[in-house]
Amino acid sequence: MHKGYGVGSRRVEVLRSVDLAVFSGEMVAVVGPSGVGKSTLLHLVGLLDRPDSGELSLFGEDTAPLTFDARSRWRARRIGFVFQFHALLAEFTLEENVAMPLLIVGIDRAEALARAAVLLEVMGLADRRGHLPDELSGGEQQRGAVARALISAPDLLLADEPTGNLDSANAESLFVLLREAHARHEMASVIVTHNEELAARCDRVLRLGAGGLEEQCSKA
Amino acid sequence: MGLIAFVSGRWLGGLRRRTHVAAVSAISMGAMALGALALVVTLALLEGFQSTIRQQLADSGFHAELRPRSGPTLPGGTWLDDIRRRHPELAVRARRSGAVWCVAGGAALPAELEVQDTLSRVEVNRVLAARLQAGVGSELTVVSPRLQLTPLGPAGIRRHAVIGAVTRIQPGEERAIVTAPPGLGEALIEGRAPSSVELRDADSSRAFSVASRVQDELPDGVDVVSFAELNRPLLAALSLERVMIGLGVALVLVVAGLNLLCNLALLAAEKRSDVAVLVALGLTPQRVFALLLTLGTAIGALGATIGAALGGLIAVVLDRSQALPLPAGVFIVSHVPFRVTAGMLVAVWGIAFVIALLASVVPAWAAARRGCLEGLRYE
Repeated sequence: MHKGYGVGSRRVEVLRSVDLAVFSGEMVAVVGPSGVGKSTLLHLVGLLDRPDSGELSLFGEDTAPLTFDARSRWRARRIGFVFQFHALLAEFTLEENVAMPLLIVGIDRAEALARAAVLLEVMGLADRRGHLPDELSGGEQQRGAVARALISAPDLLLADEPTGNLDSANAESLFVLLREAHARHEMASVIVTHNEELAARCDRVLRLGAGGLEEQCSKA
Repeated sequence: MGLIAFVSGRWLGGLRRRTHVAAVSAISMGAMALGALALVVTLALLEGFQSTIRQQLADSGFHAELRPRSGPTLPGGTWLDDIRRRHPELAVRARRSGAVWCVAGGAALPAELEVQDTLSRVEVNRVLAARLQAGVGSELTVVSPRLQLTPLGPAGIRRHAVIGAVTRIQPGEERAIVTAPPGLGEALIEGRAPSSVELRDADSSRAFSVASRVQDELPDGVDVVSFAELNRPLLAALSLERVMIGLGVALVLVVAGLNLLCNLALLAAEKRSDVAVLVALGLTPQRVFALLLTLGTAIGALGATIGAALGGLIAVVLDRSQALPLPAGVFIVSHVPFRVTAGMLVAVWGIAFVIALLASVVPAWAAARRGCLEGLRYE
């Protein structure tokens, strides 16, 4: 795939010639310096943007013909996102934030909140579920964001620097959480990270550079 | 719609946590409220004055008129007596009329003679009195086109009388009319069949319904002219006044709507990252549009509700307390009247709601079209 932004002399080629495959059950880390297109890759895979050229197939299906609505439905039902800055909605409690993907697909609010409560119990956040995001610690916020990404049991989990704003202890516990969830849900995971140590603990590491995909390393 | 209402309601309630946005939203809400309040008070004022005028109109004249569909006189038969019997609440006054000449003070003018059964004196209307320069007590000679044979040859039948009263005229009335009792009038005009019948309800508040009440009891060849049709020019003018003034004041709501549009654009910018997250979670562009549209419309609707309610309350209080007196002898009422109706409040609220809805369309559409990447990148 290939992706750039801007036109003419202002055009910036962000992602060049990335050719990769991610398999179900595989946890892939994407590393590289800033500006090489790691987040752009995630946005393309997450159907938030379209490549300028190349093909993107998800779950065996070509995504090019998908309409806006179809892409939204895919994101709602099959893809989970974890953002760097937790991205919890400030006016909603932790429980409501976690339930939001289910509400978007039309699940009854009571049922959605009940499922969110169960998941938060598993995450160790049961006593915080009625709190607003700004009443939570950084680690709690990010765990809440992970819970939101997992609530609809997605086939693909995309995490953009999930531990970027956490201290090492919280980063470690969050990664363990991701690893466990990945194993439990048997999904594919793509994690963008600057943390080489965490990246090395993934099944595969993709190293992006200015010229595109430079290296792929699998865990032996 | 449940998710949309849930999210927009929570965003609206959460505005108080963001002072500057809350202030702008409060201003938008206040502007809509002010517009609705102004419109309600204005319409209540207009309705107060106009209903007083309509009541005066109903008090002073008759409420329906029966006319022959063709020819100068109404058909015979017992139908008129039947109407009198079936509608005791109605005063039924048969008019027989014909063209005559009126002579007074050296002036001679054509006029219409109306014979009224209930009259005992000769009356002229203000138009005739002014043209003859005559008044109560003046001598009047009425000359009929019916001829009688005199020693000098055929001449018009004449009757002399003293003007007993000068009557008020209907608005827009320009005919010169002399009204006479049967003893004097029947000798002057041909035939005895009535040329029209006036109906008047003892309760003038039911003036508008008199025609419909007797409509089905009329024989062929008789048409009924309703109170509204009899006073069409004035009533149309009142209606036009209400519409034009209402439109003018409604411009306040339009300005409030433009303010709401700007406010919603600000809100959409404030919520850009939240919208981006919702889109990433699977919210479609249509639902993003619905979300922002609901938010803007809710702000406007809240303002409209407050304004319409306050406006109605103010109008009622001003009317009942007679707080705004008017100079005696200049106006037909002693204080500025206000009259609020439920339909008025609903109409004003509806107009404000539609304006709020329209004002919300553009910012909602822009937010829905905007890609979510910018909002996520900002995160």
